[in-house]
Amino acid sequence: MKAAVILRQVPDVVEELVIAEDGRSLSEDDVMYITNELDEHALEQALLLKARHTGTVTAIGLGGDAARDALATSVAKGADEAVFVPIDFAARGDNCVLSAHLAAALKAGGYDVVLTGVYATDQLDAGLGGLLAARLGIPYVGGLSGVQLDAGGRKAVVHKEYPGGRLGVMEVDLPAVLGIQSAEQPPRYVPVSKVMQARRTLRVKELKGPLPQVAGVTVRKLLKPESSAHAKMLEGDEDAVAGQIVNLVKERGLL
Amino acid sequence: MQAEAKSMGVEGGKGVDATKAFLGRLSLLPDGDRIAACIQCGMCSGSCPVGYAMDINPRMMIAKLRAGRVDDLYRSSSIWLCVACFNCTYRCPSNIPITDRLIASLREELLAGGVGVPPELQAAFEKTARYGNPFGESPKKRDAWTKEAGVEVPVLEPGDSADVLWWVGCFGSYNKRNRKDTIALARLLDVLGVDFGILGTDEWCSGDLRCTSQGEEGLFDALYRHNTAQLSKRKYKEVLVGDPHAFNALSKEYKRLGTPLKVRHYTQFLAERAPELRRLMKQTMQAKVTYHDACCLGRRNNEYEAPRIVLETIPGIRLVDMPRNRENALCCGGGGGANWLDSFIWERTRVPLPVQRVQEAAKTGADILAVSCPLEIPRFDDAIKTSGLEGRLRVREVSEMAAEAMGLSGARVA
Amino acid sequence: MSPGGIVVVAEQEKGELADITLEMLACGRETADRTGWPLTCLLLTDRAAPFKALPLAADRLVIVEDPSLGAFNPEVHARVLAHHLKAMAPALVLLGNTATGMDLAGPLSLLLGGMAVSGCVRVAVEGDAVVATSRLYGGKLLAQTSVPAALALVLLMPGSYPRQKGMRDRAPKVEVQGGAGLAGPLRVRPKGIIEPKAEDVDLRKVPVLVAAGRGVQTKDNLRMIEDLARTLGGAVCATRPVVDQGWLPRSRQVGRSGVTVKPRLYLALGISGAPEHVEGMKDSDLVVAVNTDASAPIFDVAHYGATVDLLDLIPVLTEKLKAAKGGK
Repeated sequence: MKAAVILRQVPDVVEELVIAEDGRSLSEDDVMYITNELDEHALEQALLLKARHTGTVTAIGLGGDAARDALATSVAKGADEAVFVPIDFAARGDNCVLSAHLAAALKAGGYDVVLTGVYATDQLDAGLGGLLAARLGIPYVGGLSGVQLDAGGRKAVVHKEYPGGRLGVMEVDLPAVLGIQSAEQPPRYVPVSKVMQARRTLRVKELKGPLPQVAGVTVRKLLKPESSAHAKMLEGDEDAVAGQIVNLVKERGLL
Repeated sequence: MQAEAKSMGVEGGKGVDATKAFLGRLSLLPDGDRIAACIQCGMCSGSCPVGYAMDINPRMMIAKLRAGRVDDLYRSSSIWLCVACFNCTYRCPSNIPITDRLIASLREELLAGGVGVPPELQAAFEKTARYGNPFGESPKKRDAWTKEAGVEVPVLEPGDSADVLWWVGCFGSYNKRNRKDTIALARLLDVLGVDFGILGTDEWCSGDLRCTSQGEEGLFDALYRHNTAQLSKRKYKEVLVGDPHAFNALSKEYKRLGTPLKVRHYTQFLAERAPELRRLMKQTMQAKVTYHDACCLGRRNNEYEAPRIVLETIPGIRLVDMPRNRENALCCGGGGGANWLDSFIWERTRVPLPVQRVQEAAKTGADILAVSCPLEIPRFDDAIKTSGLEGRLRVREVSEMAAEAMGLSGARVA
Repeated sequence: MSPGGIVVVAEQEKGELADITLEMLACGRETADRTGWPLTCLLLTDRAAPFKALPLAADRLVIVEDPSLGAFNPEVHARVLAHHLKAMAPALVLLGNTATGMDLAGPLSLLLGGMAVSGCVRVAVEGDAVVATSRLYGGKLLAQTSVPAALALVLLMPGSYPRQKGMRDRAPKVEVQGGAGLAGPLRVRPKGIIEPKAEDVDLRKVPVLVAAGRGVQTKDNLRMIEDLARTLGGAVCATRPVVDQGWLPRSRQVGRSGVTVKPRLYLALGISGAPEHVEGMKDSDLVVAVNTDASAPIFDVAHYGATVDLLDLIPVLTEKLKAAKGGK
């Protein structure tokens, strides 16, 4: 089994998100990066597959320096290979550019299965997984919470999440791209000392070359949603309040 | 949560060889080899507050190691029940460092193998590694509390100096429930005319992690290196600590790793100034007060009197002791990472430790349960509600009580 | 402008249209009315009959009927949709930002030579561009984007448009077509659905959570809370003190040493808002808190709040919700 996992770095929302002067992007100096949570799940799922069926896991880290740290952590967790793909700040959330950039390398890699998170918190366009699969001409199923490979390694059986806790079982011929919603167990812990060790001994391949000129979504404006530091208080007695809550529920399509 | 010790990363796997390897690593740690002196008296198991819920209690753990069965320990959930109260270590007639070496090492092995680590604890480690605090709050907001202090709280930049460097701590800085106590201490230092400053956003978690036995040595070292680098950039005569866990880390562990510091807990600092405190008292506090001895101040560092001295400066207070006081105090159950493992632990122990403790406090007839450790405020507060003692007993931090009696409480603009 | 106008790709399950379809139709209708473009609803199914008479707010309903289109198959659906959409040549295609829509966005955008925008909560047309507003970074920021209306694939977030506006007083023109575009390799094969067990509740997967705090006071009062949760199609969860009392199992605990949830609606009842609890629910889409203490910290996290007594409120609220649902 030859698996690849794509890990993207996204802005960490624990820190205040500062909009740049142009009003259309984040201020680069103020952004702290963190690995996209669902990509961590994708890595965990890949490591689980490796434990079950012998094989290798290649971690592909996209972004800036933070991506290199993510690769060290991935290797500390058990990934066999690390590939760093430097991406300019402006393109980091652009899946059209990323998928075009990665397609050739993934094809050359001869991977049976490519796993990545089904979405990233910074994405505005179609998910990376679906675009990659389309470019590679291989199947894609996303929103998965379970992946099994059959003994021959030629197909996968996946569990796709639908609303209401229902799971769709699907058989997928390999090679394929899989969009992970949650790994079968939470991303494993790796002690800091192991990560530091990995960092020291890490050998990283780098995917060099300019980013392709591909049309993407144009961002006109970034804005903060109207937030109130305090709840809007609903006035009146229980009857009045109940009525207002029912309206809120209906407005949100929750009824 | 049964640890799958097989070969999933735990070195050696099972049996005599694995046990020998474990004991070998243990003996490399300071006093780790003392484990050979165990006389199997059972003092540890008997004094452990959660011993009754452990399938393998401390005495048995050592017995198992002697029988070459370390893998039994890896599979047991008992290791994660330890609340690092230090009772076992304190009472062991052979002076075996059970908490800091045996339990810590077992946890470290499991962490290294990625096996059986409770996810809540994992999250706390990951957040600490990334943000310098276990809550996952932005490091830039660590000193945001100073805006509400009502007095000037100087932040020491590199190169600055002050007589006293106040180590505020994660709970004191970020936790809303501890905020008024942190502010109270700031106002106390101010009214006492102390020349003090804080590290502000350069302060990271003290890493009480290691010394209270959570097993993340790499993380502790990373925090230690950061914190000592920041400390070395400032000039100060002594370090004042609000949190007994940080007190233990900074005074004991940092010294052992090569950075000796003159560290005092705030109750010790204030106790030295008792006459001055008495002079500054403005109002009486008619209350019966019982003081809970924090494990990290008490059993770990033999400080029982300073907090009581501070409390006695408050006019109107009547101090009573709980039956289990001083070195016999019952742990609040928050140490050793247990603050994040309550669900896991209480499923097995059934009567939570903080509930036992507040009931003991209430039986003394006390109105106030005074504490000197920030973890205890939320823990005892919740326990008071759960036990139906709301209205009969209040938990309050010593600093906050002193500040109120000195007329320093209430809203203020600096 | 483009002859194909707007196409809504419907989602259906066992003969029923999913709510998102109606919401997309509401969005499509609003946009169609503003631009004058035609609005088509495109539905893939194994049985056309249940859908033929639905009073959808579309000008035309095109049903592609084939036995293989019963269960969702991303590969087959993408191929069939691409085939029909190419023929329709729309300017704007609406997909759900859902399990099915998200599988289709990438492949469709490449097959049709269009641009997809995801996470949208608002859609507008300005000249020859589609302008969308999307949520980014877990909702911390909004992004306004534009893509050319040739062809634009917009993934609409559930709950962004009112479902009722997706229906009107008459049924649209209906065309039933056979399954063209179905030939080809079947590399993805649906094998069935696993239904969730009634007892297992994974709080993280439930869209509506009714949370009980100490203000609930007694175990008996939990019954009315459970009734309310059932009415909302959600589940009951609780804070630590409630679970400690043994009123609910540990699996229902939300907070630092419990579960972290991000439901669409979190109704916090009698909860003070201690940080240990808030940590576990602060990213909920909509938080409505009820606590008689106006200074309770939960109101710093909630979007809406009320200080009425929850024991008085819940029975009234449940009744009103049942009445509102009854009219569905």
